[in-house]
Amino acid sequence: MKLRLSPQTLLILDAFLLQADEWKYGYDLSRITGLKSGTLYPILMRLAERGLLETQWEPGEPGKPPRHMYRFTPDGLRFARSSAAADAGGALGQVALGLVEG
Amino acid sequence: MGAPRKLAGALLKGVLRLAPHASREWAAAMLHELEFIPGDWAALFWALGSTAAILRHAASSWRQWFRSKSNKEANMNNTGKKALGVGLGMFSGLALVGCALAVLRIVGTLFPALDHSPWAYWLAVMAIPEAIFVAATVMLWRKRGPVAAGILATALVMALHVAVHLTLHW
Repeated sequence: MKLRLSPQTLLILDAFLLQADEWKYGYDLSRITGLKSGTLYPILMRLAERGLLETQWEPGEPGKPPRHMYRFTPDGLRFARSSAAADAGGALGQVALGLVEG
Repeated sequence: MGAPRKLAGALLKGVLRLAPHASREWAAAMLHELEFIPGDWAALFWALGSTAAILRHAASSWRQWFRSKSNKEANMNNTGKKALGVGLGMFSGLALVGCALAVLRIVGTLFPALDHSPWAYWLAVMAIPEAIFVAATVMLWRKRGPVAAGILATALVMALHVAVHLTLHW
């Protein structure tokens, strides 16, 4: 499974690893990572196409549209952790090793 | 609702309408997320980035579709080449049989004593061409498989013709 691990992809994996079992929204990910939608979504699409992310629609509150949510699949979690191990000195590695609280 | 937010909404609705099937869910996600972005200008920048993302995704889908179409065409070309090879092999086999019949006719004219000899007939039209067919098939099988298959097909048709002939007349 080839996925180019750009610094932006690592930031997103990092954001997902913080609370790996929780669903996350696009705008929240954008705020956490500081990435614009034009950078964030292509990475999310690639991760989802490779089966590393699962997506789901959350029913909207009254007067609000439903929101698209994202979460690691078991494969995605393994991939992120192995990428973190390879990048042990970086931010992703510190998250995976528990050096940064999530 | 300010003008930038209205523009952002209109832009993403247009993108959603025009997006290819594979990108539509993502376009809808970006459009719905717009509602949760505070600030009109931030919403507009979100919409612009999202539009770029959908365009890139759609371009990637089209590239994949185009590549798969090109591969299909390449496969069709391969099939065409194989069919041409088989046809060439069959044509070569039939030409050889035609030549054998012509030689037989010439020999019959030059040596009238051999004209009604069944052995000369079988040797010229059956044994020699079949031997050539088998040798050519073996030699060509690896390098020019389709041509060899065409020659083999002619050899089989010839052998079948002889078998039917023998069954009916003997």
